[in-house]
Order: sequence, then C-alpha cells, then structure tokens
Amino acid sequence: MRTKPRALIALLSALVLLAGCGGSGDSGGDTNEPITIGVSLPLSGQFAQPGQQAKRGYEIWRDMVNADGGVVGRKVELKIMDDASNQDTVVADYTRLITQDKVDLLLGTFSSLLNYPASAVAEKNNMVFVEPAGGAPNMFTRGFTKLFFAQQATSDKQGEVFADWIESLPEAERPKTAAYPTLDDPFAKPVSDTLRKDLEKLGVETVYRTVYPAGTTNFQSVGAAVKGKKPDMIVNGAQFDDGVGLVRSLKQLDFSPKIMFQSSAPSEAVQYSDGVGEANTEGVFYSVSWNDRAPTPLNKEFVDEYAKRFDGALPAEDAADAFAAAQVLQAAVEGVKEIDQDKIGDWLHANEVQTILGKLSWDSAGRGKASYMLAQWQAGRPEIVAPDDVSTSKKIVNPKPDWQQ
Amino acid sequence: MAQLVQGLVLGLLIGGVYALMASGLTLIFGVLNIVNVAQGALLVLAATITWKVWSVTGLDPILLACLMGPLMFGLGWVLHKFVVSRIAGRPASMSVLLTFGIALVVEGVLTLWTGNVFHSATPSYFSQSFRIGAIALPKAQVFAFLLALVVLAAFYALLRFTWRGRAIRASAENPSSAALVGVRPGPTSSFAFALGSGTAGVGGAALAVLYPFFPASHYEWISRLLGIIVLGGMGSLPGALIGALVLGLAETLTATYASLRWSTLVFYVVIVAVLLIRPHGLFGTRVREA
Repeated sequence: MRTKPRALIALLSALVLLAGCGGSGDSGGDTNEPITIGVSLPLSGQFAQPGQQAKRGYEIWRDMVNADGGVVGRKVELKIMDDASNQDTVVADYTRLITQDKVDLLLGTFSSLLNYPASAVAEKNNMVFVEPAGGAPNMFTRGFTKLFFAQQATSDKQGEVFADWIESLPEAERPKTAAYPTLDDPFAKPVSDTLRKDLEKLGVETVYRTVYPAGTTNFQSVGAAVKGKKPDMIVNGAQFDDGVGLVRSLKQLDFSPKIMFQSSAPSEAVQYSDGVGEANTEGVFYSVSWNDRAPTPLNKEFVDEYAKRFDGALPAEDAADAFAAAQVLQAAVEGVKEIDQDKIGDWLHANEVQTILGKLSWDSAGRGKASYMLAQWQAGRPEIVAPDDVSTSKKIVNPKPDWQQ
Repeated sequence: MAQLVQGLVLGLLIGGVYALMASGLTLIFGVLNIVNVAQGALLVLAATITWKVWSVTGLDPILLACLMGPLMFGLGWVLHKFVVSRIAGRPASMSVLLTFGIALVVEGVLTLWTGNVFHSATPSYFSQSFRIGAIALPKAQVFAFLLALVVLAAFYALLRFTWRGRAIRASAENPSSAALVGVRPGPTSSFAFALGSGTAGVGGAALAVLYPFFPASHYEWISRLLGIIVLGGMGSLPGALIGALVLGLAETLTATYASLRWSTLVFYVVIVAVLLIRPHGLFGTRVREA
C-alpha cells in the first residue's frame, strides 16, 4: 500500500524533470488575474486539529486582504488541499500545486513532520515556502534559501526570552539554583536544554535534572526529588498533562519555588487553569508565539473576525500563526511589487515584517531572528510581560506566591 | 530513609488504584476468555461523565463512584448482551478486534461530546496532602485507595460468598461442568462482563481526580492494565492485585532512585523476567488450548 503513492510521486517527479519546469510562478506582474496561493494542510488525521485551525487563519487573512483590495491590486485565491497528515500525500499535493495547478505562491503546512518534505518540494521547484509551523531545528540545516519560518525563532529558542528576563534582574535578585525536570519530547526537551545552558552562563547552578518519558502520570517522585534539592527556580519542559501533573505533585508535597517556568502547558489557557486550579496559576511563566490581546497591528481585527465566524471562540495559536505566515508572504510580494520567487526570497532575507505575532525577520537559513513572547499567569489569566512592544501587562509577579489551599 | 518510606507509600497508594482498574479486566478474561481492550475506554468514559457531573453539580467525584459503578455495570451488561455475546466461543483474538472497535467508538463519541482536550476534576482536596512527619500522603490518592479497597473487598465477597459469584467462578474454571450443574452461561457471562465494566466505572471516577485525561488517554491506560494482568496471570484476581502493586512500586521507586525514564522499562523487565520463569504469570493457571 505504501509503495503506490511513492511510485506516483516518482512518476510525477520524472514528468517534472522531462518537462524541464524547474522554476514556475513567472506569471508576470501586471495582470488583473487573481493571485493563486497553494496550500496543503492536514485537514484530517493526526494533525487535523492544528490543520483546521490553520485553514481558518489562512481564510480569514484572504478575506481581510481581498476586502482591502487584494495584494498589489490583485485578488487572492487559496487552493487548499488535504494531505491527511501523511508525508507522502503532502509531497504529492505540493508537487501537484506547483506543476499542474501552477499556483503563483505557496504557503506552508502544519507540523515539522509535514513541512520537512513539503519544503523540499518547494525548494526544488525554486518556490518561496513560508511555513506557519515547523520550528524543529533540523528544518534549517539543509541549506535551503527559500524556506521561511513565520514564528519568532526555532522551537529550541522558545525559552530565551525567559533567560533574558532573568538576566535583566539585578544580580542579587537572580535565582541561585534551578531544577530541570523535562519531558522526553522533541519540543519540550530542547527548550529545557537550551534554557539550562543559558541560565548556567548567568551563574544559575543546576541542582537537579531528570528526563521523563511521554505517558508518565505519576509525578510525586519527581516532585519529591525536586523538593529535596530546594531550588529557587523550576524550569519544566512540558507538553500538557505532565506539566499539570508536576504542579499538582509539587503542591501535594508543599514545595513552591520562587520562580517557575513551564513550556507549552500553561499556554493551554482554560485547560491549564482547570488542571492545576486557578489560584495555583499565579506567577507561572511560559513563552508563546502569540496572544489574543497583544497590541500588534491587525491582531484585534483578526481576533474579532474569528469570533464572528466561530461562535465567539478565541483563535487557537495555530490559526494566528497561519495568519501571520500569510502576512509575511503578503509583505514580501508588496515589497517587490511582483511575483518573482527569487526577489521575494531576497526581500524576506533583507527585511523585517510586522505581523500579529510582532516583528519577524530571518537569518540566511530561514530561522526567525526575533524573540518569543514571555507570558505569565496573573490574577487568573495569561498576560504578555515581555518584550515591551507586545506586552499586555507592565508588572511581573516575582517571586511567585505559594500554592493556594 | 524518609525518601524510601515516601516512595513505598506512594507506590502502594497508586498500586491499589491500579488494582481496582485491572480487576475488571482480569475477571472478564477469566470468565469469558475475552481480552477486553475497551476497558481503558470505559475507564475514560466513566472519568469523563464523572468530570461532567462534577463540573455541573459540584458533587464530589470520588463519591460519584457510587453512581458510576452501577451506571457502567448497566452499560457493560447491555454491551455484552447485544454486542460481545455474539462472539462467545470464538478465539480470544476475535475479542481483541471487537473490543478495540468498541474502544474506538467510545473515543470518537467522547471527542464529539467534550472535544479533544484535557479534563480533570479538581475538588478542593485534589492537590492537598495529609502529613505524617516528613511523609506526605496526597489526599486524592488516599481517598481513591480507600475506595479501591472497599470495592475490591466487596468484589471478593461477592465472588466468594454469593451464588452468582460462585457461578462466575465455576464458569471460569470449567464452563461445561458449570453448565451441567445448572449455571446458565448466558446470564453469568453478562453478569461477569457487567461487573468488570462496573469496576471501570469506579476506577474512572478515581481517575478523574487523579490525572488529567482526554479521549485518547485510554491507550495508555489499557497498556498499563494489560501489563498488570499479564504479570499477575491472566484471569487471576490476586494476580491483578499483586501486579498492580508491583507496577506502582516500580514506578515510584525507580523514579526516586534512578529516573522516571526507567520506571516503565523496569516494570516490563519484571514482566519479561516473570514470564520467562512462569509463562502463565505469577498467579495464572495454564490455559488449555482448544
């Protein structure tokens, strides 16, 4: 069953080579034809949830742009295919979008797993590929020149903004010791590892480290071990349920650090406060790519439009990331005023783009050079506390109050 | 020393809850020769209903177990009567397919109903502890453990001292002889399956307080429960109890003295070691292959 799509892809690739269409998208500048943008998204299967959110983000962007007269005077059309969260299908989809449908531009798909092969198809065909997700560091070590990650930085750098904040504290107020329990996960562990190195450089002594596997439910022993070391600060590389489990066990054992940072878990707003109890969220730090109340241009319009379409719901971060990816592409096309893949790529390497995530810019490999937002739970809701231009609260809760009874 | 005692206590507390969850699974296998892969899904279903009732009414989730047990008992009875009984007498592998299907249906229904997000019931005591010197006893774990003890004791008494219970044990040991002395296989099987589901109801109520869960959590739970009953011996109740305590202790002690990373591995190493010496598990009897 697996060989068939591969054979098909091989055949398609061969056809592409025979036809000699290495580059495409030279559909000229001054026409009134709509600009077509090809996307393949995981609308079903494992990544259906972020995939559906991304679709919403892209479509809201399209409608807002078209209502505003389009991009360089041309309306925008999206051609969205479903890759069913399958790596083979995503390759076939993008190949088809480029070679048969001859779309003018591409936008990326969701997850590193799918963006990895998809971006290779784009690069081979000399198409710019702006991806809303796919921040795994190995995406950017392949020497690609037309790949752009439309978030602040690769996922391992998520915690840097937190290290910056620690650095900004007067030396006497910095935590002396830290514990690093982390989930063995491609998104949680690199965040914890990178942060540990940064913080050690700042003189924060590592007193405890442990890596626990996915599916761990029993956190009392980790909690007990952490408590035994009495660290000033806990940095927890977490997904979701493990982050909640750790907070619960720390509370059961009655150990509250002065500073607590968790990756991912606290960003799941209501699920997190339900899981640990609202009073226990106070002062917990995390980093995030987007916030619904961040004062970035168009952010409010995006949030309002989303609420209007989907029963007052708040956009998921994935929808916002997709909206931002489309904004990046739009800015580049408007910057070079034509659809020329080389020029668009060069423009993005040289310029900074204002998005609803804040200002984004890229290094030569397409990694973001900006910093994530530092968020903190305050009075039962998440606030952005740094950087200044996107913050929603000017105060920072430090030290974290004890767990509430 | 305090650390060792703490590890032992936590391991026993959580092991008791595992035992409750696994007891139904091993009973269903013992009597019906069915590997009920849906047990994890029933657990998560019960946890979800408990969470829902708790969040709407504020009733204590662990007390809700008194409601969830009978409810899941009823559901189990219906499931067996109309679905599972159709594969009576077929090989155990058939039951794996069927109950896996049931698990997928339950997962799908839960996803539609509550969304693919984590839930947890958090009554006031969920993250508090009793303290004895340096030892912390998390209240939720203590309550869940006591609940498990009561239910397991009742379960044992029922199997031991009631006619129904003896009929179940007779069917488990020798179905054809049991039939000869007047035990009707149909109702006895339905009762056993319902009883097994009922324990998932009580276990699910405890789960709702102990851990965050979401519809697909059942995969993790069923693999843990299967590990427990394979270690203890498929179909053996004391085996499930011992297997569960071994898992609880392996988890906490390995995490305390080595790393959590190894705790799952240690448990499976124990299973493999036991199976090498006793292929039918600690308390299991050799299964006659038909």
